[in-house]
Amino acid sequence: MIESAHALTLTDRRDRRFGWLMASPSLALLFLVILFPVFWAFYTSLHDYTLISPNFDTFTGSANFIKAAEDGQFRHSLWLTTFFVVAVVLLEFLLGFLVALALNKVERFKAIYYAILLCPLLMNPVIVGLIWRMFLHPNLGIVNYLLSVVGIAPVNWLGSTKIAIWTVIMVDIWHQVSFMIVLLLAGLSALPREPYEAARVDGASPLQCFWRITVPLMRPVIIVTLLIRLIFAVKTYDLIYIMTRGGPGISTDFISYFIYRTAFVSLNIGEASAMSIILLGIILALTVYLYRYMRSLT
Amino acid sequence: MITRRVLLGSALAIGFAFPAYAETLNVLMEGVPDTEFVKQVLPEFEAATGHKVNLEVVNYAEMHTKLVPQLVAPKGSYSVIVVDFYWVGEFTKAGWLQPLDDRIKADNVDTSVYIPALMDLVGKVDGVTYMLPFYNYAMGLTYRTDLLADPKNQEAFKAKYGMDLQPPKTWDEYLKQMEFFTRDGMHGVVNQGLRPDPIAMEWSNYLFANGAEYHDANWNPTFNNEKGVKAVQQYADAIDKYGPVGSASFSFDEAFNVMAQGKAYSYITYNFFRTAYDDPSKSSVVGKVEIMPVPGPTADTGGSLNGAWGWAIPKSSPNPDAAWEFIKWVESPEIAKKRALLGGSPTRTDVFEDPELNQKYPYAQALKSMLLTSHNFPVFTYTPQLVEVLGRELSLAVAGEKSAQDALTQIEKEFVDLAKKDGKLK
Repeated sequence: MIESAHALTLTDRRDRRFGWLMASPSLALLFLVILFPVFWAFYTSLHDYTLISPNFDTFTGSANFIKAAEDGQFRHSLWLTTFFVVAVVLLEFLLGFLVALALNKVERFKAIYYAILLCPLLMNPVIVGLIWRMFLHPNLGIVNYLLSVVGIAPVNWLGSTKIAIWTVIMVDIWHQVSFMIVLLLAGLSALPREPYEAARVDGASPLQCFWRITVPLMRPVIIVTLLIRLIFAVKTYDLIYIMTRGGPGISTDFISYFIYRTAFVSLNIGEASAMSIILLGIILALTVYLYRYMRSLT
Repeated sequence: MITRRVLLGSALAIGFAFPAYAETLNVLMEGVPDTEFVKQVLPEFEAATGHKVNLEVVNYAEMHTKLVPQLVAPKGSYSVIVVDFYWVGEFTKAGWLQPLDDRIKADNVDTSVYIPALMDLVGKVDGVTYMLPFYNYAMGLTYRTDLLADPKNQEAFKAKYGMDLQPPKTWDEYLKQMEFFTRDGMHGVVNQGLRPDPIAMEWSNYLFANGAEYHDANWNPTFNNEKGVKAVQQYADAIDKYGPVGSASFSFDEAFNVMAQGKAYSYITYNFFRTAYDDPSKSSVVGKVEIMPVPGPTADTGGSLNGAWGWAIPKSSPNPDAAWEFIKWVESPEIAKKRALLGGSPTRTDVFEDPELNQKYPYAQALKSMLLTSHNFPVFTYTPQLVEVLGRELSLAVAGEKSAQDALTQIEKEFVDLAKKDGKLK
């Protein structure tokens, strides 16, 4: 058995070579635009490289990493981003799954629902931020006006350290929840009918059907959806740049905006690279864990 | 046949009418009113010299990212650039700008007509002239004249504070007015508390108005003291007690709208907003808002923050001689006056003295005295980073998450680090 697995025939080998040949242009391109910049960033993170003196003259080893790890602001940003990511991914998932389940039962006008759902998703995050900033203007915005009509005092949406992060979370949910819905809905409509029919014959309740059939069958789709959304959420930058600039105080100072400032305001590319590598490590670890978990299920 | 000959002839005639070195000038500018005014007078330059000028107008956020690659290159595409005072330290330290002193001397250009503070900000760096000041965006106090003139208000104010209600002569007087007008749904003030530059720039006025500066001649910090603490507390009070809900996150456009909708008595802001108050499409307080220098601790001092842009020729300029010709023309007395009459913000004293200008814009003298009593923000390589630090710490203090003293101590620590890193502070 072992021998035959190793002993490739001539045709096999030729096939393989041809395969590599066909794949090499895309592999080379991937290396050039993805792997190379990552290695370059890693190399930069080991040096004292600033935009004022852009050179690799001073090797600093792990100094940039230690400096980042010791920086209270950086750790605060990491923690805040984690909180934001967990909050939006969970809330968007719960809301998205609920809507997807409801829509899955709908037979007529499906296309119209899809079209409406896709609208926010088609919008540029910068536009979303600008529109919501206008809506949420505490004195001149429509949201507080509508609240005042029903007798609720004006809410300080973006000016309070306690509320601002929840405002950003709310806007992100508005913008991104349709992504969850669309993906989960695609998963739901691809589920086989037979298990449900069998369960109904056996007298299972709708709730039992959901927990015993829908959730287990949907698990791979759910994990992929969560994974993609999670990675996107970690990158959130545009909303913060437009809506709060990390404020008030440091209450919405997310990691991507923090790294951007280190690179392009402090002009310290070396330290910013070190921070990015740390972030990449965290995201990679999470991705590998979720991917493995998904593989273990199928 | 005849048409072709006529065309050929006129083409030749035009060719000979202009000097042989007619060139194309590329200029990168920000989309602001003053750029519009340059655009309007530009045909005169093209007709007089035969040079063709391409104005590339982008918004502020894009400018720095567009400039740097062109400035680093040995031959860039921009002949002339405009430099915000934020970037002066960085651009000169990196050696990206051409010194202009020889050209100024050769052509007898008089730089003494510029307001001295502007020349310090966007003109000279360590004794070398790199730029000519283009337009200023110093901050002034805009306030509601109709509220001041109301006899009922005057009576009530006198009864409460024992002094007349009038355009404030000192900072303390203004703070009283801020408190006084916060009633019946009106706000005494509206602030731009968004991180980083809106809050940092606005608070600087509060610092200067209390009689403090950022640093002394040797770059030792001079703001972490009683005056600085007062400035932070007054700023936090303005937002929390006397301003509308949410001004801690306002950028300047949102704050301006509150003022323009008649919901606040005063707003400290960039002087180019003055004309917008009289535009009925943007404002419901047309003719009711005036601008004055931010008052200082005493009647003869001011607390305004200075700000300006300068014209410069990058080292990488493809045609520096033509570029200088353009700068010389755009900053000449006639053209500078023309731009000011269109509504621009002048930088030259002779323009401010012009009778025609004073007739058209009665507040021109207020703007001039604002510039003359204004204070500069620290200009060094790390100006943008200092703005970030100020933005973060002040925003924390306004949010009540840090005391004024703690915030100032942190700002001072980081200011010292930056000034040392830049070699300004020994």
